[in-house]
Amino acid sequence: MLDNQVKNELIQIIGKDRYLDRPEELACYAYDAFLVESEPEAVIFPETTKEVSDILKTASKFKIPVTGRGAGTSVCGAPVPIKHGIVLCFSKMDKIIEVNTRDRYIIVQPGVVNADVQKALAPFKFFYPPDPASMSTSTIGGNIAQNAGGPRCLKYGVTIDYVLGMEVVLASGDIIRFGSKNVKDVTGYKLSSLFCGSEGTLGIITEAILKVLPMPETVKTLMVTFDDLDNTAKAVTDIIGSGIIPVAMELMDNLTLNAIEDVANLGLDRNAAGSLIIEIDGVKEACEKEMKQIIDKVRKNGAIHVQEATSDLEREKLWTARRSAYGVFAKLAPDIISEDVTVPVSKVPLMIRKIIEITDKYGLKVGVLAHAGDGNMHPMIPADRANKEEWKKVETAFSEIFQAAAELDGTLSGEHGIGLAKSAYLPLVMNKNTIEFMKKIKQAIDPDSILNPGKFV
Amino acid sequence: MTKEMLQNCGKCGLCLNACPVYKLLKEEQASPRAKLQLIKAYDNNTLASSALLKEIVSKCLMCGSCTANCPSGIDHYSKFMEMRKKMVEDQGETPAIKSLIYLLAREYRIKFGANLARAGQKILPDSFAENYKLGNIPLNNFPTLNTTPFRKASDTIILPDKKQVGTVLYFTGCATNYLYDDTGFATIGILKHMGYKIIIPEDQTCCSIPLLFHGAADKAFKNITTNINAFKNHDVDAVLVDCSTCGEALKNEYPRLIENQGQNPFDTKKIASKVMDILSFIDQHFDRLEFDSTLVEKLSVTYHAPCHTKNNFGAHIIAENLIKKLPFLTYKRTPDFDECCGGGGTFFYEYPDVSKKMVDKKIENAKAVRATYWLTDCPVCRMNLAGNLNNNDNLQVLHPVTIIHSALKQI
Ligand SMILES: Cc1cc2nc3c(=O)[nH]c(=O)nc-3n(C[C@H](O)[C@H](O)[C@H](O)COP(=O)(O)OP(=O)(O)OC[C@H]3O[C@@H](n4cnc5c(N)ncnc54)[C@H](O)[C@@H]3O)c2cc1C
Ligand code: SF4
Ligand code: SF4
Repeated sequence: MLDNQVKNELIQIIGKDRYLDRPEELACYAYDAFLVESEPEAVIFPETTKEVSDILKTASKFKIPVTGRGAGTSVCGAPVPIKHGIVLCFSKMDKIIEVNTRDRYIIVQPGVVNADVQKALAPFKFFYPPDPASMSTSTIGGNIAQNAGGPRCLKYGVTIDYVLGMEVVLASGDIIRFGSKNVKDVTGYKLSSLFCGSEGTLGIITEAILKVLPMPETVKTLMVTFDDLDNTAKAVTDIIGSGIIPVAMELMDNLTLNAIEDVANLGLDRNAAGSLIIEIDGVKEACEKEMKQIIDKVRKNGAIHVQEATSDLEREKLWTARRSAYGVFAKLAPDIISEDVTVPVSKVPLMIRKIIEITDKYGLKVGVLAHAGDGNMHPMIPADRANKEEWKKVETAFSEIFQAAAELDGTLSGEHGIGLAKSAYLPLVMNKNTIEFMKKIKQAIDPDSILNPGKFV
Repeated sequence: MTKEMLQNCGKCGLCLNACPVYKLLKEEQASPRAKLQLIKAYDNNTLASSALLKEIVSKCLMCGSCTANCPSGIDHYSKFMEMRKKMVEDQGETPAIKSLIYLLAREYRIKFGANLARAGQKILPDSFAENYKLGNIPLNNFPTLNTTPFRKASDTIILPDKKQVGTVLYFTGCATNYLYDDTGFATIGILKHMGYKIIIPEDQTCCSIPLLFHGAADKAFKNITTNINAFKNHDVDAVLVDCSTCGEALKNEYPRLIENQGQNPFDTKKIASKVMDILSFIDQHFDRLEFDSTLVEKLSVTYHAPCHTKNNFGAHIIAENLIKKLPFLTYKRTPDFDECCGGGGTFFYEYPDVSKKMVDKKIENAKAVRATYWLTDCPVCRMNLAGNLNNNDNLQVLHPVTIIHSALKQI
């Protein structure tokens, strides 16, 4: 519980209705989709930038930790208030301020759900490319703070590529605005890079100008299965190497396919060693030509079954399978740990082998799911945290997986972020000076470390 | 590892925006994920029972949208019902809900309540009528009671109008029996027209879903046994329901509950395997319908998909397609046709503020498409939608069967 004086001051700003601090309520803001939990002392729902600014002024006066929260779908513990204090939840600051497809941008408040951005654009035949699998729930604020990507970022890039401008409230309560409605803008430092992926440790996002694109004329989707996992990865390298950049190339291995099929009954091939969902978009004629080339290439690389989606419904079914993968794994055991190590595309086959080798060594189950086109893999290990011995193995296996990725010139996280889950491993991919440099930036703008403290900086 | 342990919520959050209560309130504690977390904390003794805990876990329409969107296959219903039961034990129940449970627990009491009302008296016991402002719905917007309960007014065995093609059992539910006999008569009329012999077992009673939702499992169990006994000895093509909530009970809840009680689920499962909602049944045998060819002017209709139709039978798309197929209707879809209306059993009464916001949005959208009839296949949705309309809204809420029946060719 916050001190009465602080509480009163905060209620002065926000009103009683948007301030929660009863135990039953606090318990609901202690978690995200990761494992660690820690309760805040108060939850506040701001609706305006002014409110956010005033709250931060009070928080910095009393040096109280403030952790932003969108929808709590992070899988690395990023919104978990590990040092307690205030959770600033943006679910009610959710207005779409302007849709402008002529100048190709949309302005939103941070609590707007990704899927609602898509919904607002659809009537104009436009879309916002970043499509995390959590898009039905996750918010733009959370997407920016985690620099979220998704299946189609292979062709289109990740969140940072679509942030034209932002309004951010600093720890002091000062409001800054940078970027503009222009796609080209090199005025000053590219500050959006600083805040994209900062996981709420540098400032609180209160508004964002996002770049949007016209929907492609045609989308074609293909599901291919292989009886040898290596072939899956070879096909990916071969297709991209030939100059075709699909929207997405999603790999699922045998265990993943079966786990999804057990729950969703979508008619997936249970015997395949691995499958790829390949999607291309663009002008109709070009798509048809590319699709032919892709089919040739996958056949040459040993595909055993090639199925092209012939209707929107079939397409949706393939994607439903992919989107449900994470949750399905949660069903295999009381707990699940899923990471997102990333390696250069040509090293995907090697990395998959490494992952399987490591988990085999510890007798663990592993499902490998990957955005194979950009080398971003999701090894998911279902296990039981109450089983101390097993859990120890899981932790060791993951640290070896991180190590292996680093050795292949890879990195710790392609899209999920560092949060509480991976901060200990940063030195694997960053030297001491670089980590120091990040700390200096943090110290300069948040000297008392009130913004999301206890995380990677 | 037990099934219970495997059913672990991965906290992925995919159920958040599927939940009508979360979508409106935008607070985590209103979400299905939070309810599960709180239940876990309570079970692990890290969170004590309290009035607030009871409120949070009960602020739920039991609509099943979370389950339908949960990739981990969590059985929210069972977890919520179990928790509600514990909360009622710990915290007690409001007098109004107590009276409702008292009424629904025994068929004769419902009759008694209905008789009282007909005699110009209050429909419900004193404490009920007084507190029970009935949510947002003005009392005179409530449906009047059937002059005679539907099952009393109709025969137990009804023969088809033409050559018999099969036999069906009809589970009429409390709403059709006491409030909306038009639904019942239309259902019978259509089935007769299609060539089905209809059996309406006399001993059937409340499906007990309202009891289960309010944690009165023991009382529910008596009703369930009565219903199974009334339905088990017939060899029929289908067991039809005109209310998808009753359908959910017969199809999913009964087998589970019977098994949990350690009883032989054979009869229950046999019945469950035949349960079908009336609209899907009509759709399957659409070619048996002959329409009155003298109807020239088309009626314009819109449709509200009840949560239980959507989530338990997946039948809302079938219903919508059926409505589109009917030659005498012009169908106008609203953008939110499959979103919850906020009725949810007694939700509209317990949480009127939340419920009102949901229903007002639905009404606004329905009025915008300028339809004459608003079709819906759940009696609670019907009561909630109709009850919140104004007289000058010129929109009449009906079960789709009523309008289908009225357009059939007379044989
Ligand atoms: C099933 C599932 C699938 C997923 N798929 C993907 C995927 O495909 N790609 C991907 O990249 N991620 C994915 N994720 C991870 C997660 O959804 C993303 O990280 C998402 O961006 C988090 O958004 P959120 O609104 O839930 O934010 P939260 O989890 O609530 O918060 C995430 C971080 O953002 C900060 N934050 C939130 N709002 C603000 C704000 N206004 N200002 C400053 N900081 C803020 C928080 O402090 C926290 O550090 C997935 C998660 C799940 C559960
Ligand atoms: S969708 Fe299922 S697994 Fe995910 S948070 Fe909701 S209940 Fe938990
Ligand atoms: S049953 Fe409906 S109202 Fe209740 S938690 Fe699930 S989605 Fe929400």
